[in-house]
Amino acid sequence: MTSRLSACGVGIGLRWPHAVEISALRPSLGLLEVHAENYMAETAALDELLGLRCDYAVSLHGVALSLGSAEKLDQDHLTRFKALIERVEPMLVSEHLAWSAIDGVYLNDLLPLPYTEESLELFCVHVDEAQDRLGRRLLIENPSSYLRYCASSIPEPDFLVEITRRTGCGILCDLNNLYVSAENLRFDPLAYLERLPTDAIGEIHLAGHHAAEDAQILIDDHGDRIAEPVWELYAEALWRFGPVPTLIEWDTNLPALEVLLQEAAHAGELFDARRLAR
Amino acid sequence: MLGASLVDLQRGIARALLDGAIDDVASAIGVDGIDPGARLRIYRNHALRTFDAALRAAFPVVCRLVDERFFAYAAHEFRRLHPPRSRRLAEYGTAFPDFLDGFEACKDLPYLPDVARFEWALNTAAMVRAVPPIGIDALHPVPPNLAGCVVFQLQPSLRYCASSWPIEAIWLANQREDVPWLELANRGASIEIHRSSEGVVWQPLDPGDFAFRTALVEGAALAAAIIRAIQEDPRFDATVSLQQVFADGLVIDFRILSETEAAR
Repeated sequence: MTSRLSACGVGIGLRWPHAVEISALRPSLGLLEVHAENYMAETAALDELLGLRCDYAVSLHGVALSLGSAEKLDQDHLTRFKALIERVEPMLVSEHLAWSAIDGVYLNDLLPLPYTEESLELFCVHVDEAQDRLGRRLLIENPSSYLRYCASSIPEPDFLVEITRRTGCGILCDLNNLYVSAENLRFDPLAYLERLPTDAIGEIHLAGHHAAEDAQILIDDHGDRIAEPVWELYAEALWRFGPVPTLIEWDTNLPALEVLLQEAAHAGELFDARRLAR
Repeated sequence: MLGASLVDLQRGIARALLDGAIDDVASAIGVDGIDPGARLRIYRNHALRTFDAALRAAFPVVCRLVDERFFAYAAHEFRRLHPPRSRRLAEYGTAFPDFLDGFEACKDLPYLPDVARFEWALNTAAMVRAVPPIGIDALHPVPPNLAGCVVFQLQPSLRYCASSWPIEAIWLANQREDVPWLELANRGASIEIHRSSEGVVWQPLDPGDFAFRTALVEGAALAAAIIRAIQEDPRFDATVSLQQVFADGLVIDFRILSETEAAR
């Protein structure tokens, strides 16, 4: 299924309060992305998504597969995810370089992994299993981090690249996550971008963040307009990776749809400039 | 085992997030200019805020009935006894009404668990799709001698709440800024909730209709549901009630029990 509104490769995250307005207005967008877990039951929301599927390419963004957990993947969750993929026929399917569950307890957060040979092997086993079960190539998103483990021995970009090499998965490069982590853990985001292979990048995420009260830590809350340094990283990423499908994420303090469309339009200008420069 | 040392670390992080046992795992975190405990507390605060907000969103009237601070305490105890296990945040809170049943601290509000059940029913019904109903004319081909063996498939959003307290009146009163005085004694409620094409709707039912409809939704054949309703209310009028079930748009399909099923 192809989208008749896919002239531009920039889209927005579909959030429930905007669904009716998007259904009515059908704004010109390259794709809509949803959190897969919100559509894994036979709900009215799923009907709305399937209705929009006629006009938009859809990206399914998983947030709960917990590929980094030191326990078996949740088989029921994989089954639900596969069923959703078959219903929606998404353009992209993505998950996170993170873990969220242990001993069956689900922490509802994307928690960082220590980057070691042990966790690398475990993560790759899980990506292989997920790709086999889902029948799709996954894009793995770099996390936003507030901490680094003493045990980590592999730089995050090298860890990510090695996962793509071993499993054939791609990378969802979240530039807000990259900026937030770089500020919180004191590293150079441009040096990180330089380590990522162009042909592995399947999608870019842009979002807002805010500074914690003591201003020492940036919080990745997806609750504001995209910050200027992240726009600068986006321009750099477009030149490095080409016009990769790009998504505006907004999850907290959700504004009017118009604000998301403004952010998407700005990203679209940069995206089109890069595409024309090919 | 692959991940043997990782599992210990992840268990430690989980305890830090849910129970606040931050010191146990802080030595595994690099300083990088900021105290590791402060870094862990960002994750803990996010986890607690998320679960707390999910409960508040699902049970706004319960929260109002007990006040914010007491609700936060109840949410904390609930999380301790029922750690989140579903990967869909929308399911967090399924066990909250039953938890309130046994929660000593709210024994003075005996209606609270049933109000919570009503709120949970409203929430979960809202998420389920409304299916186009069939009309009573669809029953015409059914041979009269098999009419009692008809099993209806009803709207998947249907929920039933029965309480010895006026939970609907309590819920409605707490939608207002100034809560009116309510007579609570001797006023039970039997309520049906479902999602129609217009959104979530509910109505109180008399004892016969409540017994009839809960029997149907549980998969009882028509004859068995009628008997259950008559046992509840000898004045139960099966024809009128069946017509009303269709008129309310609740029936989406039906089948006739096989002889083997009917003989059971």
